[in-house]
Amino acid sequence: MSPLAQRIVRRSSMFVVALLFVAALWELYKVVGPEDGGALLGINILPRSNDRAMPHIWDMLSRYNRPELRSSERKIWRVVLAGAWFSFRLSLVGFAIGTTVGVLLATLMARFKVVERGLLPYLVVSQTVPLIALAPLVVSWGGKLEVFGYEWPRWLSASVLGAFLAFFPVAVGTLRGLSSANHASLELMDSYAASWTQTLFRLRFPSAIPFMVPAFKLAASASVIGVVVAEISTGLKGGIGRLIIEYAREATGDPAKVFTAVFGAALLGLAMAGLVAAFDLYVMRNRPKEAT
Amino acid sequence: MSTVNVSNLNKIFNKGQTNQVDALVDVSLSVEQGEFVSLIGPSGCGKSTLLRLIANLLEPTSGDVVVAGKSAKQARLDQDYGMAFQQAGLFDWRTVSKNIELPLELKGWDKTKREARAKEMLDLVKLPEFSGHFPWQLSGGMQQRVAIARALAAHPPLLLMDEPFGALDEMTREHMQAELLSICAKTGTTVVFVTHSIPEAVYLSNRVVVMSPRPGRITKIVDVKLDGQRNESTRERPEFFAAITSVREALRAGGGHAHAGAGVEDR
Amino acid sequence: MIARLRAVLPPIVFGVAFVAWWEAAVKIFDLKPYFLSAPSKIWDQFANNKSLIWEATRVSGTNALVGLIAGTILGIAMSFLLSRYKILGDIVTPLAIALNAIPIFVLVAVLNNMYSITSEIPRRLMVTLVVYFIVLVNVAKGLTQVSPTQLELMRSYAAPESAILRKVRVPNAIPYLFTALKISAPAAVITAFVSEYFGGAQNGLGSRITSNIANSKNAAAWAYVLGACLLGLAFYLVSIIVESAATPGGAKRTSGRSQ
Repeated sequence: MSPLAQRIVRRSSMFVVALLFVAALWELYKVVGPEDGGALLGINILPRSNDRAMPHIWDMLSRYNRPELRSSERKIWRVVLAGAWFSFRLSLVGFAIGTTVGVLLATLMARFKVVERGLLPYLVVSQTVPLIALAPLVVSWGGKLEVFGYEWPRWLSASVLGAFLAFFPVAVGTLRGLSSANHASLELMDSYAASWTQTLFRLRFPSAIPFMVPAFKLAASASVIGVVVAEISTGLKGGIGRLIIEYAREATGDPAKVFTAVFGAALLGLAMAGLVAAFDLYVMRNRPKEAT
Repeated sequence: MSTVNVSNLNKIFNKGQTNQVDALVDVSLSVEQGEFVSLIGPSGCGKSTLLRLIANLLEPTSGDVVVAGKSAKQARLDQDYGMAFQQAGLFDWRTVSKNIELPLELKGWDKTKREARAKEMLDLVKLPEFSGHFPWQLSGGMQQRVAIARALAAHPPLLLMDEPFGALDEMTREHMQAELLSICAKTGTTVVFVTHSIPEAVYLSNRVVVMSPRPGRITKIVDVKLDGQRNESTRERPEFFAAITSVREALRAGGGHAHAGAGVEDR
Repeated sequence: MIARLRAVLPPIVFGVAFVAWWEAAVKIFDLKPYFLSAPSKIWDQFANNKSLIWEATRVSGTNALVGLIAGTILGIAMSFLLSRYKILGDIVTPLAIALNAIPIFVLVAVLNNMYSITSEIPRRLMVTLVVYFIVLVNVAKGLTQVSPTQLELMRSYAAPESAILRKVRVPNAIPYLFTALKISAPAAVITAFVSEYFGGAQNGLGSRITSNIANSKNAAAWAYVLGACLLGLAFYLVSIIVESAATPGGAKRTSGRSQ
């Protein structure tokens, strides 16, 4: 077995151990914790351990195989999977828009120093401000705004928000990558009288890949966050965010239900991350392997 | 006609500022076709600067550089020289073959012609079975051979080398020197070679150009009188030692350093 | 002087041009307020509602701060355990990697059910959790990824593990802690903020933005967004100031790396 495969197997088995550990802690608290919550050092920090607030793990899992509503035949795992799939597609659109814009911006900044000097401080600052606050504003465009005669669909707002969060790490990472090409290689390209675009595509972009991949990882989770927040803050229908909100409201009668959707959101995040990880393996397949 | 002709060349960095550096002052040199010329001197003597002026990677402050009968810039645009650096500088993401093809690709050669040439060059540097490997799978010496193949891929009349063997161990280094000479004998390429090492300069060159710092200038040109084929036994001949001694004395006379020839390796 | 001007001028020109272009675009294209509000309108709203915005900022900011402090303390404590027992690290690392990819803030939906309706605890707990993992991963890295040479040196002195911890591992981890803080500070604000979208008390910046939009008062909503940005910026600046105060020599080096 290759070292890579070994690492993947070891990490995944440890991940399962970690999940079992968390589940055990959960059930343990249900045994020893106070039914209706309690105080620790004068703060009401101990959660309620009753079955309405903290259902048993097996209740959460078996809930998947029961219908969403008493009146319907549709098993809830289908509903959750459909919701996660919907959000996944929105995240993918957001990710695609975000990375494209990010890479273009980075290229522009690498080409024109004055653009870099003017724009980069804002990019750095933008990482520190909660742009997510824009979510409800952007989503409110849906159904009202018309672009070239087409009505702006509500789902596109969620994707745009995902793109909004995704493009910053990509722009910054790509820029750092584009300027990482080593001096000797640049001199070599100069000695070939290579044009700026030739140097860009044959040297700068390939050198930037190791910097772009981690940025893509950040962008993937950022686009998921953007989409889910957009869904939750505005109740956008069809996605996993909406399901979480709906199911959370039913928690008093059906406490295990909300967990099915929460795990669905986790699956969504992992699927996006898996996609980028596969891309990583593909583009880095011929690069020197570093021990990590 | 000489391949390289440098006349009254001056290069001043940060002119008029407090950190002004007179990198080269009034340097003239001509390199004949098929000749092997080394530039040697302590750090700061301007040998790398001179090489980069010939390559048109730097513009002179004043003076003329003529390469293959053209201005240095035109020679660069026409790819009349190939260049190799201390670091092989191969692209990690390209196979050995694709690395050698890079300059041809930039010149717009078609695929079959490129591949044929890459194969020819790999035979020349004796690495034919490594064409599909990636650079990081090769040893340092093999990487440097690929870099030389890349520099010669377009069959340029001139090869510019900036301490190409500086990062190699002593054994590999001597082996590579012999390889380089046999390649040049086959191709008839003119070479300008920057080095820190006196024996390396003497073993390889027809002429050794000794330079000294502050300001960077040529202090002496030593003719190396080693006739015929150079091989391992060359390193033990009295003419070899005589040439080493005269280069060392020239370095010492060049001064600029209290300790003569500091920064020059005596190996 | 000229060098400083060259560094400062482009961002200022870009910033002013952007705001001017925004203002002009709203006027010229007659953009509807639901799409974009003019900067001047937003500024009016911000000035008029200063005390309301401040109140909401205080609520969200307190949640972020409490979670930031609690998460940092817990994260540091856990990272020491992790560096001591390798098996713990093996278990927690894949979990931390997975959590990085997951929108964990959705856990607020679950936490809300575990406490009373108006409690701020679920939000603070959520911030704590987010910060906890950032600090944990970074500080554990700092404690374990020390130079092998330094370790060999300490072993040659026959130094006990506790001395190695004090003299080598902890100093090595300090820059990592500050890196973690710089990432956590904005993340804490964002999490505090997003947590409010899940219902509960309607007193923070996040809930104010949604309620203003629901009432079609978009310029006011933008004003709250401005407040949110200022809060995020304040947290980040404080984390930088804390860093440079704590590491007089090292601050420049580490902050240089992040640019």
